[in-house]
Amino acid sequence: MADLFPPLATAQVDAKTKVDEKVDYSNLPCPVPYDEVHREAYMSLKAENFEGFRFDFSKGLNQKFSLSHSVMMGPTEVPSQSPDTTIKIPVAHYEFGANYFDPKLMLVGRVMTDGRLNARLKADLSDKLILKANAQLTGEPHMSHSVFNFDYMGKDYRAQLQLGNNALVGATYIQSVTPRLSLGGEVFWAGVPRKSGLGYAARYETDQMVASAQVASTGNVVMNYVQKISEKVSLATDFVYNYFSRDVVASVGYDYILRQSRIRGKVDSNGVTSALLEERLSMGLNFLLSAEIDHKKKDYKFGFGLTVG
Amino acid sequence: MAAKASLKVKAKGKGSKGSSSSSSSKYELFKDWTNWSLKKAKVATHYGFIPLIIVLGMKSDPNTHLFQLLSPV
Repeated sequence: MADLFPPLATAQVDAKTKVDEKVDYSNLPCPVPYDEVHREAYMSLKAENFEGFRFDFSKGLNQKFSLSHSVMMGPTEVPSQSPDTTIKIPVAHYEFGANYFDPKLMLVGRVMTDGRLNARLKADLSDKLILKANAQLTGEPHMSHSVFNFDYMGKDYRAQLQLGNNALVGATYIQSVTPRLSLGGEVFWAGVPRKSGLGYAARYETDQMVASAQVASTGNVVMNYVQKISEKVSLATDFVYNYFSRDVVASVGYDYILRQSRIRGKVDSNGVTSALLEERLSMGLNFLLSAEIDHKKKDYKFGFGLTVG
Repeated sequence: MAAKASLKVKAKGKGSKGSSSSSSSKYELFKDWTNWSLKKAKVATHYGFIPLIIVLGMKSDPNTHLFQLLSPV
């Protein structure tokens, strides 16, 4: 009889110590930035599928400086009147890029043969304040746009102010509520189509899974869940619903990170199946294969490419 | 009498317009100046961003020369 009690007591003590790892609410970790709330899900579900041939050559000259040359040939979609037919026009372009990476300043510029410049800047103004700027500039008037973001990283929160051309102003805020749960909100006002919007996001993560949800006043509700099955495999699922236009899309995706290759793919409720394979042929040489099959619209996209450096 | 009153009203209207235009013209000048400077900044960024990156990269050590940029190795 006396033997019964000691095991029970130890079991209770074990349970108590587990529960007693109390949450230190003054020492919560810094949350993920508001734009990256769905980061893990989009790694497998929004892979960069492309169509045609792609060749990227990247040459590092310095520890901080590198140049890149990129050739892309293939059909590009042109927006058509009816949503059922897709119009594709074959296009070939060459893009020259320069990158400068410093601990405090990062500059990335890409210019195409038709004169379009894609510029990105990230500067650490102080320990906690980061300025990010992103601009697409063209020669045509009124077709360029640029966005400036000021990010402030607090102890367990992040705040961001966004200013864009055409009078776009936005602000986001995300806060860690428990070590695993973070909640955030955003507000924006666009001057040209005079509308404002509000949104909320929540993210719950553990070592093995991430679940996140986002609601916006544009009517979009996004919910996704990512489960890490092992070091090499993770599965993700996504549900997007727009309560104004009544569009619903659900998708399931996978991400296999193997020693020499990485393969990501997804299946959609719109009848779209896609996959992207990145295979490392040797040091610095990567081979890409991309496929996207849309059974409903009968649109088949296949692409292959090579990345050097 | 009615014609005189209407003339006075017209003059007052023109006078007020004149005063408001002198105060609103400062705002208009400010807007025009910011538009002009933004246009120039856009052109400067469009032409000068990539050369800026190249110059910054070439100056960071070890200094690289122009021929190293152009050679395919």
